[in-house]
Amino acid sequence: MKNNSNHLAPGVTGRRYWRSLDELADTAEFKEWLQREFPQGASELEEGVSRRHFVRIMSASLMLAGIGVMGAGCRRPEEHLEPFGQQQENYTFGEAQYFATAMPTRGGAIPLLAKSYEGRPIKVEGNAEFPGSNGSTDRYSQASILDVYDPDRAKRFKNGGKIVAPEDAFAALAQLSQAAATSGGQGLAFLTDRSTSPSRHRLQDLISQKFPNAKWFAYEPVDSDVQQRAATQAFGQAVHPVYHFEKAKVIVSLGSDFLGTEDEVQNHIHRYVQGRKPESGSMSRLYVVESLFTLTGAGADHRLRLASAQIGALAAALNAAVAGSTFTAPAGVDAKWISECAKDLAANKGAVLVVAGQTQPIEVHLLAHAINAALGGVGTTVALHPVTPSPAGNIGDLAQLLNAGSVQTLVLLGGNPVYNAPADLNWAVTQRKAKTVVRLGYYEDETFAQTDWHLPAAHYLESWGDAVTSDGITVPVQPLIQPLFGGLNELEFLARIAGETQTSAHEIVRATFGGGDEDWKKFLFNGYQADSSPATVTPGFAGTVPDVKGAAPSASSLEVVFYRDAKVDDGRFGNNGWMQELPEPITKITWDNAVLLSRRTARELGVENGDLVEVTLNGHTVIGPIWTQPGMADYSLGIALGYGRTVAGRVGTGVGFNAYAIFTGSYVATGATIKKTGQTYVIATTQHHWSMEGRAVVREANWAEYQKLPDFAEKMHGEEAPVIKSLYPNPLDEAKKTALHQWGMSIDLTSCVGCGTCVVACQSENNIPIVGKDQVTRGREMHWMRIDRYYTADPATEDTQKSILEQDSFQTDEKQQFAAWIDEVQAVNQPMLCQQCEAAPCENVCPVAATVHDQEGLNVMAYNRCIGTRYCSNNCPYKVRRFNYLDYNKRPLADLKGTLYPTAMLGSKTDGELDIVRWWRDPNSGMRTEDEWDLIKMVKNPDVTVRMRGVMEKCTYCTQRIEHAKIKQKAKAGASDNVRLRESEGTVPKTACQQACPAGAIVFGDVSDPESSVSKLKALDRNYTVLGDLLTKPRTTYLSRVRNPNPAMPDYREWPHSFEEYEKHNGNPFVNTPESAQKGNS
Amino acid sequence: MSAIFPKWTNWAPLALGAVVAVIGGVVTAGVTLYCTPKHTRVGYEPVQPVPFSHKIHAGQMGLDCRYCHNGVEKSWFANLPGASTCMNCHNQVMKDDPLLAVVRESAATGKPIPWVQVHKVPDYVYFNHSVHVTRGIGCVECHGRIDQMDEVYHAKSLSMSFCLDCHRNPAAHIRPTAQVTHLDWQWSTNAAEAAEMQATNGAKFVHDWKVESLQSCSACHR
Repeated sequence: MKNNSNHLAPGVTGRRYWRSLDELADTAEFKEWLQREFPQGASELEEGVSRRHFVRIMSASLMLAGIGVMGAGCRRPEEHLEPFGQQQENYTFGEAQYFATAMPTRGGAIPLLAKSYEGRPIKVEGNAEFPGSNGSTDRYSQASILDVYDPDRAKRFKNGGKIVAPEDAFAALAQLSQAAATSGGQGLAFLTDRSTSPSRHRLQDLISQKFPNAKWFAYEPVDSDVQQRAATQAFGQAVHPVYHFEKAKVIVSLGSDFLGTEDEVQNHIHRYVQGRKPESGSMSRLYVVESLFTLTGAGADHRLRLASAQIGALAAALNAAVAGSTFTAPAGVDAKWISECAKDLAANKGAVLVVAGQTQPIEVHLLAHAINAALGGVGTTVALHPVTPSPAGNIGDLAQLLNAGSVQTLVLLGGNPVYNAPADLNWAVTQRKAKTVVRLGYYEDETFAQTDWHLPAAHYLESWGDAVTSDGITVPVQPLIQPLFGGLNELEFLARIAGETQTSAHEIVRATFGGGDEDWKKFLFNGYQADSSPATVTPGFAGTVPDVKGAAPSASSLEVVFYRDAKVDDGRFGNNGWMQELPEPITKITWDNAVLLSRRTARELGVENGDLVEVTLNGHTVIGPIWTQPGMADYSLGIALGYGRTVAGRVGTGVGFNAYAIFTGSYVATGATIKKTGQTYVIATTQHHWSMEGRAVVREANWAEYQKLPDFAEKMHGEEAPVIKSLYPNPLDEAKKTALHQWGMSIDLTSCVGCGTCVVACQSENNIPIVGKDQVTRGREMHWMRIDRYYTADPATEDTQKSILEQDSFQTDEKQQFAAWIDEVQAVNQPMLCQQCEAAPCENVCPVAATVHDQEGLNVMAYNRCIGTRYCSNNCPYKVRRFNYLDYNKRPLADLKGTLYPTAMLGSKTDGELDIVRWWRDPNSGMRTEDEWDLIKMVKNPDVTVRMRGVMEKCTYCTQRIEHAKIKQKAKAGASDNVRLRESEGTVPKTACQQACPAGAIVFGDVSDPESSVSKLKALDRNYTVLGDLLTKPRTTYLSRVRNPNPAMPDYREWPHSFEEYEKHNGNPFVNTPESAQKGNS
Repeated sequence: MSAIFPKWTNWAPLALGAVVAVIGGVVTAGVTLYCTPKHTRVGYEPVQPVPFSHKIHAGQMGLDCRYCHNGVEKSWFANLPGASTCMNCHNQVMKDDPLLAVVRESAATGKPIPWVQVHKVPDYVYFNHSVHVTRGIGCVECHGRIDQMDEVYHAKSLSMSFCLDCHRNPAAHIRPTAQVTHLDWQWSTNAAEAAEMQATNGAKFVHDWKVESLQSCSACHR
């Protein structure tokens, strides 16, 4: 109850002990202590106390202390409960509150519902009330909550690196404002990140009015601005395209990873899967042309691996083919691929969608729009929203001004240009050419060293703001807490520069919103402004179709593709431990980036996984490790931006290598060479083995076969062991009869795209610690749920497959990078979490019954009972149990990047038996520092136990959410029998992964209720259990995956590769069924 | 050869066994009696910063528990009243009493009163007040006769077995929901009759309200 749900006044924020010291300084005792030379009694005994008397008092107090130890000491330490002075209305301590807010992104915003507990935000969910939303989020917004409690945040106002009082910084801003008013803003330049905030735009306009000579520049290292520029050019007016994948029958991606790392992925995934429901009777078809292997490529029905530089040529050929004219296919591409794809597009007029990737140049985007326009996509699959184009210049223009010496004052708003500006601008030096550099920054990062005034920025969960989503709806950004370190909001910052008297962000946003108080309340309550989106327009194609030719890269002139990282974005999440430890969705690499290349390229260049190579591009060089990526285009190198931070904080500094060192502003660059350095590097990956080895873990079929054999997945169920009547009946069978619910889960593999949002959501909900790179290499990652990604290939190419099964598996994992089968692969994703087996193998082997079933079918963990034998994990066929090898919650962040396999392992601070020696010397050594403790405690979910060392943990279907819902219902029922949770009444809770999933692939519910969604899904033909032949009777079941390839395409095969692999190892599963005659491929 | 072991050694094993049994018994009894929650917790009666008497407020004046502990039906936490709740009456009654100086100061400044926690379960136990009190488990079941205490003390052990005793047999403890906060309520003044009524009505409530006898780990541990 120490935290008030209402915000404290600014004067009383700050750390408790500072406050108490300040208060202490005012007391009479303290003043007296100051005045005395020695503390009372130190030099002489007080009057009237003889030595003998003193000794007697001492003995008596010792005796009393002894009794105290015997009596009170056996009890727990005294703890205090501190209620409010003023009782709060409409606030119940112990119950979470939810507030609608939004996370601003570069091109829009993600509407959120933030959970507040005791006045601090602890979890974000999507705002399900928002039009078109299914209440999901993306990875970044789930992880953003950790940034609020980052101990490495900028906390102080600084001038020239020295701490100053906030008032001094404000005075400097006022001075800046006055100077600009006199000069009309001459020599004043702003470099900002992109934002959609109407309030910020209003203030920017105000500043431009007041200081007409001030100049504005915007920079985003990963910029999706090309989407808007291309659409504007193509349609002759300023518009922003919004893609409606749900309305498309045929989708072509030209290097666009719209399901993985482009902006707005959560919307794209949500819309895309709506068109991919096999039970609906039809499915959309996805063609992907790409050089990297992305999640979109993994989800493709037809995937063409092609160097990024050639995608433009392919787009031009496709455009020509759609128009019915002759075309030349780019080198190495089967012309039939293009012509059949074009035919499919032409056959689905009005329901086609061609999207070009953010890394592609504007010409490719124009070609995409030309095809969309020609085939009636505009207005249906492509919605064009009118926008006001931003007048801001780019960073190159600013560099010119700086070099010319015409910038006196440079104001940086967000961003981290010293780290991520294009390499040829030499930004660290260029920025210094301004006389004064003022920055509002969230971290004291690389750019911090090159600033004069540095003001700490507030997190979006700490500040008032507003934003416009990509489809034009205005959303509020509501704070959940006062800025923890007194940071400044961007609106307050701009208002002070503008010389406004009103500098409260709340008032600024309120003024921008206008309207009455009721409207304002509704706006905040709903989390969006209804009808604020402008009407879409449907102009005709007004651009010219460019002629694009792309040269194919070669071994001596490699292509480099710089892409937005799926974890750290452009580097902004570099100090976020959850993001660093999240396995990259395709490579499954944690805590690093790598130089990705294809097997063939690696062979030709003579490099293999872990080799450190020098990549040289345009005279710039960077050193990074090699990672052979199956399915990559040849002679194309994929390098993720956002790593190699030098001043990121305790988590992010020194992780990976900095691709910005060779980045000069274009995301695809050719002419690179690589050279071996002779050194090697350890990469921490969470999935070493790439193949399913023909096992029916993920079951998939093509659309045509699925229609003939909808229950194909069930037929692939392995041979079960004979059931022997047990003397000991499963107690769950008896408990089921009286239990109120039976929980279960269904995961649709056709919908799942493998984005990993669920993994971060689970981490946030369940207090899952991060372990660091060293621990990941030892296989000790703690994620309760993982997404398994398997590569499958035509068995005919699986040259090494047979021997793989006979070889030592560690050797095999190393060698699979050389196997020819990895060139042309399909990929499948499978979320894997505790399957809540009814006959759980883990329970039988626990010697202390720490893991047992409850009556509702949950395989629960009593953490306080676990003694850490790890038998359960050993006996789990799904490998979903996680063990706390170290006290990860108490480990200092700095230890996360400890040396790999240190020689003196037993001597390390928190490892091994010598802990007791360490503890004897200093009970706090090897623990988190106090600032880490203070903050990290705040992000924990109070409803979930924080586990310590030696304890096994795992998914329990978010049992805390289930219990909370059950308790709510029971409390509501009171003296009645209405205690059952019913989906029809909306009382069944959602698990964290389910709630966060943009695809809606995860459905949890009561399987004893035949009307529940999960029951209906489990009744589908596609339903199957993983390793069900072991008779574990899992409560989590999967829906098989259905692909929808085009039979006319040259790369068409009747069955997906995974099925072919299965068939090769296990034989035709349909032999004994009447349908076997229809089975192909044999 | 008979001289090696004298005759008394025949009794030695028995004597040794008896001594071990006695010592073991005493140690076991000692640990059970003095180191279990019944003894380490029951009777704990810390001195509170304000000499607030439940005996006067809840007993003599009959204030309902929920007047102050207003979260008890909504949250896991029963809630301690803010000083402003005290001042609802005490701005008229005993309004200048020096004993209440701390309360007046708290209400005026917002500085919380540091009450000493009496009843506490371990951190890994997720006890929830709302689901117990709304479903007919009286306050008195766990807290004892608070209405007779001047200074609140720990009356029941609140150990795991204490919880399980009731969870295994809720019918023996459940009462009409209207009587939850009435600490002195009984089915009847006649003990035998009261026991019989508890048995019949308890079973009826458990059946009618679908009260579960929750004994699985997830009921309390998460």
